[in-house]
Amino acid sequence: MHPTTLILSSSLLMIFALLIYPLITTLTPTLQHENWALTHVKTAIKMAFLVSLLPLFIFLDQGTETIVTNWQWMNTTTFDINLSFKFDHYSIIFTPIALYVTWSILEFASWYMHADPNMNRFFKYLLLFLIAMVILVTANNMFQLFIGWEGVGIMSFLLIGWWHGRADANTAAMQAVIYNRVGDIGLILSMAWFATNLNSWEIQQMFASSKELDLTLPLMGLILAATGKSAQFGLHPWLPSAMEGPTPVSALLHSSTMVVAGIFLLIRLHPLMENNQTALTTCLCLGALTTLFTATCALTQNDIKKIVAFSTSSQLGLMMVTIGLNQPQLAFLHICTHAFFKAMLFLCSGSIIHSLNDEQDIRKMGGMYNLTPFTSSCLTIGSLALTGTPFLAGFFSKDAIIEALNTSHLNAWALTLTLLATSFTAIYSLRVIFFVSMGHPRFTPMTPINENNSSVINPIKRLAWGSIVAGLLITSNFLPSNTPVMTMPTHLKLAALLVTILGLIIALELASLTSKQFKTTPNLITHNFSNMLGFFPAIIHRLAPKLNLTLGQAIASQMVDQTWFEKVGPKGVISIHLPMVTTTSNIQQGMIKTYLTLFFLSTTLAVLLTLT
Amino acid sequence: MTPVHFSFTSAFILGLMGLAFHRTHLLSALLCLEGMMLSLFIALSLCALQMKATGYSVAPMLLLAFSACEASAGLALLVATARTHGTDHLQSLNLLQC
Repeated sequence: MHPTTLILSSSLLMIFALLIYPLITTLTPTLQHENWALTHVKTAIKMAFLVSLLPLFIFLDQGTETIVTNWQWMNTTTFDINLSFKFDHYSIIFTPIALYVTWSILEFASWYMHADPNMNRFFKYLLLFLIAMVILVTANNMFQLFIGWEGVGIMSFLLIGWWHGRADANTAAMQAVIYNRVGDIGLILSMAWFATNLNSWEIQQMFASSKELDLTLPLMGLILAATGKSAQFGLHPWLPSAMEGPTPVSALLHSSTMVVAGIFLLIRLHPLMENNQTALTTCLCLGALTTLFTATCALTQNDIKKIVAFSTSSQLGLMMVTIGLNQPQLAFLHICTHAFFKAMLFLCSGSIIHSLNDEQDIRKMGGMYNLTPFTSSCLTIGSLALTGTPFLAGFFSKDAIIEALNTSHLNAWALTLTLLATSFTAIYSLRVIFFVSMGHPRFTPMTPINENNSSVINPIKRLAWGSIVAGLLITSNFLPSNTPVMTMPTHLKLAALLVTILGLIIALELASLTSKQFKTTPNLITHNFSNMLGFFPAIIHRLAPKLNLTLGQAIASQMVDQTWFEKVGPKGVISIHLPMVTTTSNIQQGMIKTYLTLFFLSTTLAVLLTLT
Repeated sequence: MTPVHFSFTSAFILGLMGLAFHRTHLLSALLCLEGMMLSLFIALSLCALQMKATGYSVAPMLLLAFSACEASAGLALLVATARTHGTDHLQSLNLLQC
């Protein structure tokens, strides 16, 4: 066997072995030592990252992709399910990035969660999550992808509800599970359709045998799955509620890895979608709506983690728009660059939160630029990368997406919404930086501000380097499969930048209003709409369950009890038979002698009539 | 009609009249029932003998067995009536009449 392919396959499977080993050490009945989290888990992930660089460099040099089919799991005459890993350019690039970000987050978590007695269990959950995520991205068949999909959903539930004594955390975890489940319906629908119509769950066979078929139904199922997992509009409230979990959880799951699983599914199965105009338009409009709606909600939030969560949701909408534009590679590029700066934003938020004695409200922060200079500089770098500042990481993906949007002959409404959302991105990013790091401190004096710990600084520094150079590195090493439009009018080329600068100026103007008071009773309609998240959770979380429960009550009491049991069923039968029985027994009077006499007389009469 | 034929026919009819027109005691009705059974027994036996139909020879025995069962059922009813109503007078059996 050629050494290149041998190295590729074995290093990729080595990653799995390295990640699973710490879990196996926990299967023994003895308790692990206190530093197990650091010595076993973090080291395993660092090793796995270094090992995953090998296939990455081989891919960069020679462009090798591989599919490894290990084990025949369930094989019948008509249907096969195998354990099969697909290491194409999507998973070869994504795996090192995910491992790099996870390594930084775990190092940060060892500082953030050091006072938690169950830190080992926390790291174990994070490791389980990572394994499920890697299974998801390297899956070559839908069954394995589904395993990874469900795995990340369950670990998300366990990690969001980490502080399970808090009722809000339990509610948020339930919300995450229920919204994800609704999306899972779509995924299972698609899987069933593929199994019955294309006879396989292997991706290669699905692509080859679906050329002539009308794929609208399974594609709608896949879009529903992506809506649930990636918090598109309609199934989005779980993502801001998921901020109840610890900050490392938010950084890992709800910014870089888990929420992109839905988009990743659509990217993987994109060849099925590229000819179906309905699916593409759905993605486009859904993504545009999501990105604008969540950016609007982010404008007036006061919790720093919620702002970053809505920002994630908005970027996910942007990725969905890109898929609707038939550009899966740009969406994937945005996934990779977004992972870096979003995780860094969360880690900086976590550092600030811990420094201010667990204060999360930005109205009670301020002046952190002088007090935590490193963290606020990295916050600024991350925000600049998020808004698409030229030549940072976010620019290469975001600007390319908006250029593609401007030069495509598609829905102008989606374009308008996306540009508006881009300007809102600048506004809320400036709002965060203004309230957190600029101005005068608005917190109490006795706060444990300390960012001198190396396990805080090093992860954030690593991710900052990633936020700066990742975009450049990735775009300069990979050829696009669709030729991008290179020439366009100047105003279209500069549209993203202009809109962002416009947003920045508006935000600066609004920020300067905080020290002036024009109206004592301001008009609050739009602010209320944005702050209450468009009233979406308030309506849906009460109305839908209430309707369902009243329907259930109507079915149980009116239909079953009153109708089936009393009018139609057993009691109905009684009510019909009882008058008949009463009548019959009332007729019986017990006059035996009269009966017998009549019998004798009628017998005599009959005999006489037959004889004469 | 031969004399034997006439005798068991008339025995049957008399027993039937006694069953229909009984006046006071339930026991007399049961006795008439027994008389009817007896006449039927004689009729069946003579039928089997005179028509040389040996296949019917077992029928009288069966009739006897069934009439014994029926007599015991009737006596059980009599005892039950005596238990619930105190007597077997037929006037007291009209309690269902409203």
